[in-house]
Amino acid sequence: MALAGMRDALSLPAWVVGFGLVGIGSLARDVGYPVEVAVLSTMLVWAGPSQVIFFASIAAGAAWSAIAIAIGFASLRFLPMTVAILPLLRRPGQSVWLQLVLSHYVAVTAWTEGLRRLPAVPPPQRVAYFLGFANTCMAVSSIGTFSGYYLVNALPIPFAAGLLCLTPIFFLVSLAAGIRHRGDIAAMVLGLALAPICDRFIGGGFDLIVAGVIAGSIAFLIGRRRGRAA
Amino acid sequence: MTPPIPGLDGAYWPYLALLLFAVLPTEIWRWLAVAFARRIPPESPVLEWVRSVATALLAGVVAKLIIVPPGALAAAPLGLRIGALAVALAIMLFDRRRVMLAVLAGEATLIAGAWLLI
Repeated sequence: MALAGMRDALSLPAWVVGFGLVGIGSLARDVGYPVEVAVLSTMLVWAGPSQVIFFASIAAGAAWSAIAIAIGFASLRFLPMTVAILPLLRRPGQSVWLQLVLSHYVAVTAWTEGLRRLPAVPPPQRVAYFLGFANTCMAVSSIGTFSGYYLVNALPIPFAAGLLCLTPIFFLVSLAAGIRHRGDIAAMVLGLALAPICDRFIGGGFDLIVAGVIAGSIAFLIGRRRGRAA
Repeated sequence: MTPPIPGLDGAYWPYLALLLFAVLPTEIWRWLAVAFARRIPPESPVLEWVRSVATALLAGVVAKLIIVPPGALAAAPLGLRIGALAVALAIMLFDRRRVMLAVLAGEATLIAGAWLLI
């Protein structure tokens, strides 16, 4: 089953995340950090937005406390995301340690693909499938980050821009692929619309959380209403 | 460039900074989720709400990366960045299984557009 996870990861998601994290390598090089730190950030942080904030903020000279707080807020989404995916992976008698290990892999790709694919996998084999899938994504991404450290400076601007745009395009396509009902569509559309508005009017790194909670709550109500009517 | 914290400077500072200011504030939420998830039944409306908020947050990250783009992406005009997303999304609306095609079409739009405009 781990092999099935690896195969599904290599069918596309691993390559997209891998390419998406190539830009992290170039950001790390810009601030003069060693290539090992760039690759470790992919393996240990395993969250594109956190890694982008980390290296880009250092380049901008932000205070360490501000960097940590911004990353903390950008990563708050992992709390609901992990809570949502764990029931699919949980088994009777499973240790907390295994769950902590599984939770480390929760990021946009493993989460959206996991929610989409795991229900079709027999429950006893889900952990093996998920670990095979997520570790394959991480291995390919580590190679991508490593390459980016040395390659991105050599690319013409349109291709460098293309690499950096891979992340938002893939995030959005993943979300669209995971849509189940009207509530999901509402969450996506409202999130897209509210984030720039909150970015303009709410400072201190709180904007994303405010936009997410407002948009998500409205979408939740829309989804519930549809559920009762059906 | 943010300078190292005085007294902790040295060859290992980048590693320490990564652990303290990037790994910890990211990982803490995954650990807290493990602690909380055991007390929430899988089919509860709370989970549905939480999933809804997470979806909106991710969409928000997308919007922010497009409105306030990193590095070389800023060289592409805003209209082009939005256009690339729109192309990818249009393909997903047409057929939700075409993930690869959608990503590649969005990328092609951006790169070709940037090539012509920059």
